Amino acid sequence: MSRYALFLGCTTPTQVIQYELSSRWVCQHLGIELVDMDDFVCCGINQVNLSQEAGLLLAAMNLAYAEERGLDILTLCAACTGALAEAVERLKDQETRDRMNRKLQTIGLEYTGKTQVKHISRVLYEDVGIDKIKRKIKSDLSQLRVAPHYGCHYLKPESAFGGWDDPDNPKTLHQLISATGAFPVPYETLNLCCGGKSFPVSKDVAFFLVQKKLDNLTNKRIDSLVVQCQTCYLMYHDQQNVINEQFKKHYNIPVLLYPQLLGMALGGDLKNDLGLDLNAISLDNLLVKAGINRKI
Amino acid sequence: MDQDRKKKDPIRVSNLDLKFRSEVMRHKDAAGLNACFSCGTCSAGCPISEVFPEYSPKKLAKMVKLGMKQDVLSSPFIWYCTTCHNCEQRCPQNVKFFNVLNVLKNMAAKKGYAASPWVEQTRQIMQTGLIFSVDEALTKKRKSLFLPALKSNGNKAKRLIKLAGLDKIKAKKKS
Repeated sequence: MSRYALFLGCTTPTQVIQYELSSRWVCQHLGIELVDMDDFVCCGINQVNLSQEAGLLLAAMNLAYAEERGLDILTLCAACTGALAEAVERLKDQETRDRMNRKLQTIGLEYTGKTQVKHISRVLYEDVGIDKIKRKIKSDLSQLRVAPHYGCHYLKPESAFGGWDDPDNPKTLHQLISATGAFPVPYETLNLCCGGKSFPVSKDVAFFLVQKKLDNLTNKRIDSLVVQCQTCYLMYHDQQNVINEQFKKHYNIPVLLYPQLLGMALGGDLKNDLGLDLNAISLDNLLVKAGINRKI
Repeated sequence: MDQDRKKKDPIRVSNLDLKFRSEVMRHKDAAGLNACFSCGTCSAGCPISEVFPEYSPKKLAKMVKLGMKQDVLSSPFIWYCTTCHNCEQRCPQNVKFFNVLNVLKNMAAKKGYAASPWVEQTRQIMQTGLIFSVDEALTKKRKSLFLPALKSNGNKAKRLIKLAGLDKIKAKKKS
């Protein structure tokens, strides 16, 4: 049985609680033990903008707490994954590690390089495995056509991920979707960024990116976009309505977080286990096609 | 970017800081910039350039090499980065432009040009350890969903942030 320190990040447990709910349920259902940590703080990814040293120090602090408990980290947010994995990579350098540890010592911490970081999808892919997931499927989702969206930091910076999936031609989320029975629809803007990190500073850039992907998906006859990061979710789901109002658009594309899709296939309770009632864009059509004739 | 100057004036050598190039490349993260041969692959994949053609990573690299310190560090566009990593992913010379940009933003932040959202987030982390506040409504909501309460670890984060000098970074004043 796999055991991980659960890294919730900042946005999931405060803004996209259904991602946390469904991730916890899926992990429990598939034998992944998640340890709640009181000590974790922000991964530091945005602080890198102001000070690379400070951002790395926050990441190192989190790694050190997990190491103290003898655990690897399981992340939900793609950006936390990228920031923490990059920190693991940077801290392989002795001089950098010593410099960080001198600062960490002031709060009684040390990171020696033992704790590693994996996104929940990677844990599902590597620790549980596609075959085992397939064997556990209870609902037939074969009528669903969904578009995968990976999230930039799931596999980038490339140097931090040891080539376990190819960031330019990624396959793992496609396979995880296929394992549920749903069809991962191919589309041109697969690797397009959601714009979440520019959103606080430039809505022009962020909204341009969101619209570019939603435009591309409009004629693909998809039942949902499937994301594996709460920031991507907020951009494609919550901002979809904002864009509809602001730019007089009529997008109506449901967005699911991958553990919600998997949870549906595994027979989870739509509301209590998967938090589907918290997704505002209607999933009624999708649920009918999935053969789940229950209202959320 | 000053649109008028762009149209009328040439680059004035007297306005250049010839040490800027080495000041930037002294950072390990930006040392690779030397290998850039200005092919523009980074710019072709940059979402900021797609929306604002007046910005491009290739041009910014040139400006650094020329010593256009003031223009580079005061540019609002460097803060628009989506962190998509396309620039470094596609660079034939393996220049980590994403890291170069962070070096430039770090320098700009010290000069008082920091984008305010990132400064505000830092303030929040010093309180809750997270970039968001945790209010009563959220605590109630989490409880109703049988999720564990969010514990604040802001104090220790604050100590490290101060140790790294991040608390001294001020946001750029709105003009």
